Amino acid sequence: MATKKLGFVIRTMPYKIEGSRLGMTHAISSQTVEIYLEDGDMVEPVVCFIGDGVLNCLKNQQAMKHYAITSLEQHIKNSLLLDLNVLICKEDIDKLGIKEDALIMDAEDIGGETNAKVVPYSEIQKAMESVDHLLFC
Amino acid sequence: MKLGVFLSEYRTGADVLDRLTADKLGIIFVGNGVYNAAVKENGKASSVLEKKASFYVLAEDLESRGFTAANVDSRVKLVTYGDVVDLIFNDYEKTIWI
Repeated sequence: MATKKLGFVIRTMPYKIEGSRLGMTHAISSQTVEIYLEDGDMVEPVVCFIGDGVLNCLKNQQAMKHYAITSLEQHIKNSLLLDLNVLICKEDIDKLGIKEDALIMDAEDIGGETNAKVVPYSEIQKAMESVDHLLFC
Repeated sequence: MKLGVFLSEYRTGADVLDRLTADKLGIIFVGNGVYNAAVKENGKASSVLEKKASFYVLAEDLESRGFTAANVDSRVKLVTYGDVVDLIFNDYEKTIWI
């Protein structure tokens, strides 16, 4: 029995390029690989938003309305619905003048029970050190 | 020359803007360019807004990224796609995209 830890570090802005969507999609889909694993083996992803990537975490994204695509907000909520560990860098939201109440912190509206966490970069560094595989996007 | 500039990047493109001169300059923030209109990094608005120009931000791109008119710098006018078409046809002789 073993747990593989995966780290997805999202540092790109939403929408213009697909980096952040790719990271979120991989993090969410990592849950499905368990069907290929031995009994008791697990995959444990952590999703970290740093730098400009924290802009993915703003609430009330209207991407479906204007672009007819799923918003990154919905991807983050889906991650929380699946109980993924979602970390948002405190220093970077402060730098960009974003208040915590403007961020997607939960997925209660779709039945999620896990909350995102705003943490200092040092905790994100620890998360990166603790994972077996790391993807920056 | 009356020049309309579409700026779709954040933090890049300012160097090109600095070299542009026009009798009338309009800067239209689209795509990730909307962050120039709505984000105050380290408490400061984007340096692009210090340029002598008229500023516009595309509402659809702004709202898609989770911002509202309340987040937009007072120097910037919120416009729709329809308004942008009017700007192109009525206000600017040439348009460029950076």
